[in-house]
Amino acid sequence: MTFSTDMSVAIGTLSLRNPVITASGTFASGREFADFVDLSRLGAIVTKGVSLEPWEGNDSPRIAETASGMLNSIGLQNPGVEAFMERDLQWLADNAADTPVLVNVSGHTAEEYARVIERLETVDNVAGYEVNISCPNVDEGGMVFGMHCAPAADVVAKCRRATERPLIVKLSPNVTDVTDIARAVVAEGADAVSLINTLLGMAIDATTFRPKLARGVGGLSGPAIKPVALRMVWQVANAVAVPVIGMGGIMTAEDAVEFMLAGATAVAVGTASFVDPTAVIRVIDGMAEFCHARGIRRAADLTGALVAEPDA
Amino acid sequence: MSDACQDISQGHPLLEHVEVLGNERLAKGVGLVTLKAPRIAAAVEPGQFVHLRIAQGRDFILRRPFSIHRAEGDDVEILYQVLGRGTRELAGMGTGTAMDAVGPLGCGWRVADGVSHVLLVSGGLGAAPLGMLAERLAERGVAVTVAMGAPTDDRLVARELFEGVARRVEVTTDDGSAGMRGFVTLLTQELIAAGEFEQICACGPEPMQRIVAAQADAAGVPCQVSLERLMACGIGACLSCVVSTREGHKRACVDGPVFDAREVVWDASEVPPKH
Ligand SMILES: Cc1cc2nc3c(=O)[nH]c(=O)nc-3n(C[C@H](O)[C@H](O)[C@H](O)COP(=O)(O)OP(=O)(O)OC[C@H]3O[C@@H](n4cnc5c(N)ncnc54)[C@H](O)[C@@H]3O)c2cc1C
Ligand SMILES: Cc1cc2nc3c(=O)[nH]c(=O)nc-3n(C[C@H](O)[C@H](O)[C@H](O)COP(=O)(O)O)c2cc1C
Ligand code: FES
Repeated sequence: MTFSTDMSVAIGTLSLRNPVITASGTFASGREFADFVDLSRLGAIVTKGVSLEPWEGNDSPRIAETASGMLNSIGLQNPGVEAFMERDLQWLADNAADTPVLVNVSGHTAEEYARVIERLETVDNVAGYEVNISCPNVDEGGMVFGMHCAPAADVVAKCRRATERPLIVKLSPNVTDVTDIARAVVAEGADAVSLINTLLGMAIDATTFRPKLARGVGGLSGPAIKPVALRMVWQVANAVAVPVIGMGGIMTAEDAVEFMLAGATAVAVGTASFVDPTAVIRVIDGMAEFCHARGIRRAADLTGALVAEPDA
Repeated sequence: MSDACQDISQGHPLLEHVEVLGNERLAKGVGLVTLKAPRIAAAVEPGQFVHLRIAQGRDFILRRPFSIHRAEGDDVEILYQVLGRGTRELAGMGTGTAMDAVGPLGCGWRVADGVSHVLLVSGGLGAAPLGMLAERLAERGVAVTVAMGAPTDDRLVARELFEGVARRVEVTTDDGSAGMRGFVTLLTQELIAAGEFEQICACGPEPMQRIVAAQADAAGVPCQVSLERLMACGIGACLSCVVSTREGHKRACVDGPVFDAREVVWDASEVPPKH
C-alpha cells in the first residue's frame, strides 16, 4: 500500500497540519520544550493561561501525585498580557513562526477576558483563542464562569465581540450536564469547544492530617481522568455542531485515536509532557503510523467513527 | 533554558537513556546509585539535578528529581534517601536496569573567581548536591571547609569524600555518635562568626538552611542555598515548583534549585522535613 495519510484537520477556519496540539499550562509557550520537541511539527501550540494583569498564583505545595494522575493548584500564575506579548509571543514569532499559536485566556470578570483578547488582536502571530472558563484553581473567574450557562454565555458573547479569530471555549467537567454549557457557548458564537479541563479533587496526608496541596483542593489530570474525558467528549460531540478538541489523560497515540473516535476533531496532550517531554511528538508519529497501518487516508476520517455496538 | 542560567553558561538539558552500574546501601534507608550517563556526565555543573523516570508503566507517573552528587567519566552518582514509592523502587534497582533521565537541569552553585575560602554546610542528604562542588572547588585551588550534620554517625554520608578534598571537616550528630551532639547550626554559628569565609553554600532541611542564611546575613557573608520543591516537569513549564523570592515566584527547577539566600522569602511554603 503506497499512500500517505493526510493528517490535516480543520477547526473552523483554522487549518492544522495534524490533530495534535498542546494542552494549556503543560507546555508553557513552547520555549522550555524546544530542546526536546521540533515545534514546527505540532498541530498548534496552546499557551499557558494569560490574564490582563500579572497573577502570582497559589502557595506551594502546588502539586500532589495521585494514582495514575496528579493534582495541581497552580492558580494561573502568569506575567500578564503585556509581558506575555513581549516575551512569549515575540519568542514564538522568532522561533516557531509556522505553527499556529492559540492563546489561552483568563479573567476575573467577563470584561477582563475581552480586554485580554483586545490587546492580543494587535499582534499578528495569534491564530485564535481558547477561553478558559474552567480553571478550578482560582477563587474569582475561572470555573465559576463555566459551571452555569448564563455566565458562560456572557463571557463568550463579550469575547466574540472582541475578535473574528477562531474562538475555542474550554469546558469544565465539574458540572452536572456538560452538554448544556456546550450548547450555551456555541449559541454565543464559539467556533469550537475543548474539554476536559481538570476534575476538582483533593489529596490528604494521613500522617500529618493535612491536605497535600496548600490550597486544599486542586485539579486532577493524567491517565486517571481519561474515561471521564472520553465520555464527555462523546456527549458534547453528539450535542453540538462545532468541532470538539478532546483531552484528558492522553499518553499514547492510541489514547488520542480513542478521543477522535468519540468525536474529537483534534486532541491535546497535557500531563504526558511532564512524564516524557517528547510525548506530543510520539503521539503525532504514532497516530500517523496507526492510520497508515489501517489504510486510513485522512486522519479526519477518525472523527466520530465510533461503531455504536461493542464487539461481541 | 532559562535566562537566569545564561550568565553561568550552563548548557541545554537532554533526554538520555541511562543504565544502573551499581547501587550500594550506605546506611538504613540511604543509598548511592551509579548511572552510566555519558552525555549528562559531560555537561553537568555542581548543584544541578536529573529528573529520573523511575516508574515506567506503574500507577505513579511523575519523574523524580535528584541532585548529581558526583560525575566522573561517563558516570554520575546519586545519593538518595528512601521516602516513598519512587525512592523504594530506585533502591531496588539492580545493575543493568535501564531508565531515562532528563538533565542536567537547573542553576547550580556559583562561586566567583577570586573567592579563596568557602564554607559548605550540609544537613543529612544535603550532602548530595555538595559533593561535586567540594571536588571542583578543590581542583580550582579554593579552600573548602565543611560543616556537616546528620541524625547518627552512619548517616554522615559523603564524609570521606569531603575529608579527601576539604581543608577541614566538622561534624555533628543528633545523638552524639560522632562529633558534637546537636544540629549543624551550632557549628556554623561559631565558624561563620570567626570570619574566615568569603562565601557559604548550604543544603539540607529548609529550617536549617534558613538559620544558616540568617547567620550568614548577620556576618555579612554571601550565602547560597539549594531548595527542594515538588516538581512535575522539571524544565520550567508547569510552575509546580515555585519559591517565594523578593522578585515574586521563581521556579526551583530552572531559576534554582540554588538561590542567593537574601533573595528567598522564607515562608510556610517549604516541603516538610524528611525523616
Ligand atoms: C532539585 C531537587 C534535588 C533533589 N535531590 C535529591 C537527592 O539528591 N537525593 C534524595 O534522596 N532526594 C532528593 N530530592 C528529593 C527527592 O526528589 C524526593 O525525595 C523523591 O522525589 C521522593 O519520591 P518518592 O516516590 O520516594 O516519595 P513520594 O511517595 O513521592 O513521597 C513520600 C513522602 O516524601 C515527601 N516528599 C516528596 N518529595 C519530597 C521532597 N522533595 N522533599 C521532602 N519531602 C518530599 C512526600 O510529601 C511524602 O510525604 C531532590 C528534590 C529536588 C526538588
Ligand atoms: C500543571 C497544569 C496547569 C494547567 N494550566 C491550565 C491553564 O492555564 N489553562 C487551562 O485552560 N488549562 C490548564 N490545565 C488543564 C490542561 O490544559 C488539561 O485540560 C488537563 O490537564 C487535562 O489533560 P491531561 O490529562 O492530558 O493533562 C493545566 C493542567 C495542568 C496539569
Ligand atoms: S517543575 Fe515544572 S516549572 Fe519547575
